[in-house]
Amino acid sequence: MAAPPNKGYKRSWKNLLINKRYQLRFTLFMVGLSALLMAGLGIWVMKEANDATSVAKSSIAGDACPKVPVITDTVNDDNSVPLKLDDGAAEPSGDAPVKMQHSAVDPKDVAHHNANDDVIAVQNAWCLDASCQPEQAAPLEIKMSTSARCNAYVKKKLTDPEAVAALRKALVPVVKCDGGDSFTVADAGAAAEPEREHHVKVQLDESSMTMMPAPAAAHVIPADYGERITAHWACVYRNEGKIADLETGRLRILWVLVITGLALVLGLAIYGIKMTHRVAGPLFKVSLYLAKMKDGRYDKVWNLRKGDQLVEFYEHFKAAHAGVVALERGDIEQMTALIAAAKEAGAGETEAVKDLEALVARKEKALE
Amino acid sequence: MSNDKEVPAATVVQDGKLGGDTPKTAAAAPRQPYKRKLSNFMLDKKLQLRYVMLVTVLSAMISGSLGYLIYHQRHQASASIDSDLAALTQSDASFSDVKNEVAEDNAHDDRMLVYKMAGVGIGLVLILSAYLVIMTHKVAGPLFKVSMYFDRMAEGRIGSVYGLRKGDMLQDFFGNFKEMHESVRTRMQADVISMESAADALRTKLANSPALEAMDKHLAQRKKQLL
Repeated sequence: MAAPPNKGYKRSWKNLLINKRYQLRFTLFMVGLSALLMAGLGIWVMKEANDATSVAKSSIAGDACPKVPVITDTVNDDNSVPLKLDDGAAEPSGDAPVKMQHSAVDPKDVAHHNANDDVIAVQNAWCLDASCQPEQAAPLEIKMSTSARCNAYVKKKLTDPEAVAALRKALVPVVKCDGGDSFTVADAGAAAEPEREHHVKVQLDESSMTMMPAPAAAHVIPADYGERITAHWACVYRNEGKIADLETGRLRILWVLVITGLALVLGLAIYGIKMTHRVAGPLFKVSLYLAKMKDGRYDKVWNLRKGDQLVEFYEHFKAAHAGVVALERGDIEQMTALIAAAKEAGAGETEAVKDLEALVARKEKALE
Repeated sequence: MSNDKEVPAATVVQDGKLGGDTPKTAAAAPRQPYKRKLSNFMLDKKLQLRYVMLVTVLSAMISGSLGYLIYHQRHQASASIDSDLAALTQSDASFSDVKNEVAEDNAHDDRMLVYKMAGVGIGLVLILSAYLVIMTHKVAGPLFKVSMYFDRMAEGRIGSVYGLRKGDMLQDFFGNFKEMHESVRTRMQADVISMESAADALRTKLANSPALEAMDKHLAQRKKQLL
């Protein structure tokens, strides 16, 4: 019957840890040292990377982008157009910005001028026969030698329509006598012209009004507004992109370090166990042979597997094994010769010869 | 044929060290305690150098790679500072001294960093190599010792075996070897006694027999070998 083909021995993962103390010690030292170096130097790398990233970010932040152009409401005096209603100026087209010109007349002067005529009229009507200083829209105070005389003078004047009209035009509400009575201008008209109908007399005098340009209509948009806006935001987004790239680079370094460290530790652990197994394996094999020799069995010693270490050491062991086998064979040889001589001398059945034969049998069995 | 000249003298083992053969004279001077020597640390160059080189080269590669990364990051930061400073001082020539001073400081710092890392790396490699040689010696030492015992066994000498030094590794393996050695020795001593008693019992009937003389010589040699 043909024997089944001998399958070649294959290393098994579960058998890799033969000598745990030796293998783990060397593997863990290697792994621990690598992990320590990776962690220590990795922290240093990250510190420098953080510093470099911060500096680069500051550098980017320091690169000023073009500013957004400001739409100003300041109108150039030379180009502005005053809106005078009575000038009959052509109306501006709807699309083009309105250009207005300022009035050359100060509004204060206009008002002052308009008020002066009324005051002068009051002066002429009331202050020629009495002492007074009329003012626009203020009570008129009359000064005379006596209050009674003043009262009589005012009563008489209030009957004069021209004098009352001058007061009304100058918006003088009350006429007062110094030390005497006060007379309301509104009552004077009724007293002076009881027979006349009440009609409102409106007189439109020539006047001018300056209209200031409305702020909304005065915005001036620079010609390169679009380009400058584009340049500004392009710069902002470019800088933000650079900062994001820097942060990505920093994180990439971190992840590369972590992944490399983990892969290194894992790879070294596997490699370390396999490497030490090439030492522990021969030791294990020798230990098996030592156990057999201890029990008095001197089997044939087989070679190591390919790739094993301690080849020289194993050769020493094989030589030792061969030496012990040679000793045993020497004993067997000497005892066999002695037994043969004893049998020739007729002492083959003695107890000593039987002991020697038993000893030879045991030794021969040990060498099988 | 006499085997007397081939038989080495008894082995003297002291302090766990195989002392080799010594003349059997009563006046022999006491041996000095064994001391480890630096030259003896590399007992198994192949085994030890393999591990030492692996760990050392690996550490050097890790340190070198990460060291380069550190230098690169530092140099990048320095270059950025220099360029920013150059841009800031471009309009004012009076700041050029400050700019140059800062640039020189940065370059100096970068150089010093390289020197420091190179120094630390070399120191690490040296210390690590020394430590690993010592560490592997604790494996190579027992193997060397067992190899010497194996050599003696190969020569037919089954003498006494002494323990390993404190701190040595492979104590279990050495224990197995020692048990085997003691077992073989004890068994051979018993065999010698058995053979000697059998030879003595047959001596009257085998007087002047060459086989008996050969057995006597064999036993004498074996006794020496088992000392």
